[in-house]
Amino acid sequence: MEARDPERRLTRPGGRTAVSQHLGLLPALAVLLLLYGGAVLGALRVSLIPLGGGTGELTLDAWGAVFADPTFLDALAFTIRITVIATAISALLALLLALSVRDRGLLARVSSAGPVPVPHLLVATVAVLWLAPGGIADRVLGGLPLNPIRDPGGSGVILVYVFKETPFIALLLLASLGRSVRQREEAARVLGANRLQAFTWVLWPALRAPLLLGSLIVAAFTIGSFEVPLAVGPSYPQTLAGWAFEATRGDLISGEGEAAAALLVAGALAVALAAISARFARNVEGG
Amino acid sequence: MAERIWKAAGWMAVGLLIVLPGLSLVLQSFANSWRAPAVFPQEFGLRGFEIAFSSAGAIGAGLDSLAVASATTALCLVLAWPAARALAQCGIARSPLVVLVIALPLLMPPYLAGFGLTEWFIRLGLDATVIGLVLAHTVLALPYAVIILTFGFGSHLRELEEMADLAGLSRLRRLAWVSLPSVRPTLATAALLSFLVSWSQYGPSLAVGGGRATLPVVMLPFIRTDPQVAAALGMLFIVPAMLVLVWAVRSQRNPL
Repeated sequence: MEARDPERRLTRPGGRTAVSQHLGLLPALAVLLLLYGGAVLGALRVSLIPLGGGTGELTLDAWGAVFADPTFLDALAFTIRITVIATAISALLALLLALSVRDRGLLARVSSAGPVPVPHLLVATVAVLWLAPGGIADRVLGGLPLNPIRDPGGSGVILVYVFKETPFIALLLLASLGRSVRQREEAARVLGANRLQAFTWVLWPALRAPLLLGSLIVAAFTIGSFEVPLAVGPSYPQTLAGWAFEATRGDLISGEGEAAAALLVAGALAVALAAISARFARNVEGG
Repeated sequence: MAERIWKAAGWMAVGLLIVLPGLSLVLQSFANSWRAPAVFPQEFGLRGFEIAFSSAGAIGAGLDSLAVASATTALCLVLAWPAARALAQCGIARSPLVVLVIALPLLMPPYLAGFGLTEWFIRLGLDATVIGLVLAHTVLALPYAVIILTFGFGSHLRELEEMADLAGLSRLRRLAWVSLPSVRPTLATAALLSFLVSWSQYGPSLAVGGGRATLPVVMLPFIRTDPQVAAALGMLFIVPAMLVLVWAVRSQRNPL
C-alpha cells in the first residue's frame, strides 16, 4: 500500500519505490554482465590458454606472437589511420551539415538524416557500383583521380564511414540546437557579438558535448569495423577485426588465441578513447 | 539570391548523395548486363533476384534475419523498460560502473562479442540457432534501447503516473492508458534502433551463426563478386528496414 500512496512518493523519494525501481536495472545488467562479460572473458581465456591440447596453463604466447607479427602491426596502424581520418572528417562535415540545415524545414532535416537507417553493407554495395574501376563515376567522368575501392590507403572504407556517420553526428548536434540556443544566439548578436563570437560563446558550448559523444561513438565503431573493410577495403592491410577473422581461418590451434588478443587490443583502444573523452568532457565543463 | 543558391545546393546534395545512389541500386539489381563504358545497362532482367533466391538462399536467410531482429527487439524493450525507468528516475542508479557496463558493448568491436560467445554457445548447443543469434544481438542492441528509453522516462511521465495513481487506476491500467501512450514515441525509436542494430549485424552473426547465415552474411561476398546479386539482396535488405522506419516515424505522432 505504501508504494501506491502518492503523497508519500512525492515527499519521500527514497522509500520503497526507489528501491524497487533500482531493481529494474537488474535484468538488463544481468544480461549484459552474463553475456557481454562472458564474451569478453571468453575471449580473454582463449587468448591466454591455448585451445585443444597444451597443459591448460596460462601463457602469454598468443599476445607475444601477435605483437611480433608485422601484419598485425600493419592492421593496428591501418585501423587507427582510418578511424582518425573518418572520425575527423565526419565530425567536421556533421558540424557544417547541422549548422546549415537547422533553420530549414522538416524535409531538409529528414533528408540530411537519410543515410542513418541504411545498413553499412548497402552503402558499401552502392560505393562499389559507383566508385570501383569501371564504375558509374568512372564512366560518367571518364576516369577518377584515385581508386577508392580496395585502396590500400583505405580511402574507400573512409568514404563509406563518412557517408554513414556524418548524418548520425549531425542528428545528435541538431537535437541539442533547440530554440533556447537560437534565443541565446540572438541575444548575443543584439548585445553586439559578431558571428564568430556568437559561435564561440553560444553555439560551441552547446555543440561540444554532442560532438564529442558522436565522434566517440563513430571512432569506437570504426575501430571495430569489420564488414565494410571486407566489402570495399584492401585485402592488405586489414582492420584489427578483419585480421582476427583471418587468423581464425588460418592456424586452428594458435589462430584463435591470436584472434582473441587482436580483438581485445581493438576493444582496449576503444575503451581508452572513451576514458580520454570522458576526461576531456569533464575538463571542458570544469574550466 | 544567396538563399536560392543555398536551396539549389541542398537539393543537389540530396539528389547526388541520396536519390541517385538509391536509384542506381535499383537499376543495378535489374541489370543483367551493364558493361563499361555504357552509363545505362544494356540488358534488364531478373538474374540477380533469381540467384539471390535460389543459390544464395535469400528467403531462408531473410526469414531468419527477420525472426532474429524481431525477437531481439522484443527482448531489448522488455529488458530496457525497467532499466531505463531506474536510470531516469533515481540518480543513484547512474553510477559510473552501471554506465560503463551498459556502454561497453557500444564501445568494443561487435565481432569481439560474437567471437567470445561462440565457444560458450557451442558448449550450450546454442550455436547456429535463432536463440543464439538473438542473445548475441540483444547484447549489442540493448545499450541503445536503454539509453534511448531513458530519455522518455523523465519527470513528465512521473507526473502523469502520479495523476493516474491519484485517479485510482490499477497498475495494469496505468501502464496501458498512461505510461505506454506517453512513452510511445521514445519506445518506437528504441524499437527501431534495436531492430536496425540486429538487422544489419554482420560479425557476431558470422561468428555465432555457424551454418545459419543471416542476410548480411549472405550478402557480403556478392559485393566483391557479383554486384547484381548484391544489389538484389540489398533491395531485400533495405525494404524491412524502411518499413520499420516508417512505422517508427508514424508512432511519433499523437503522444499523450
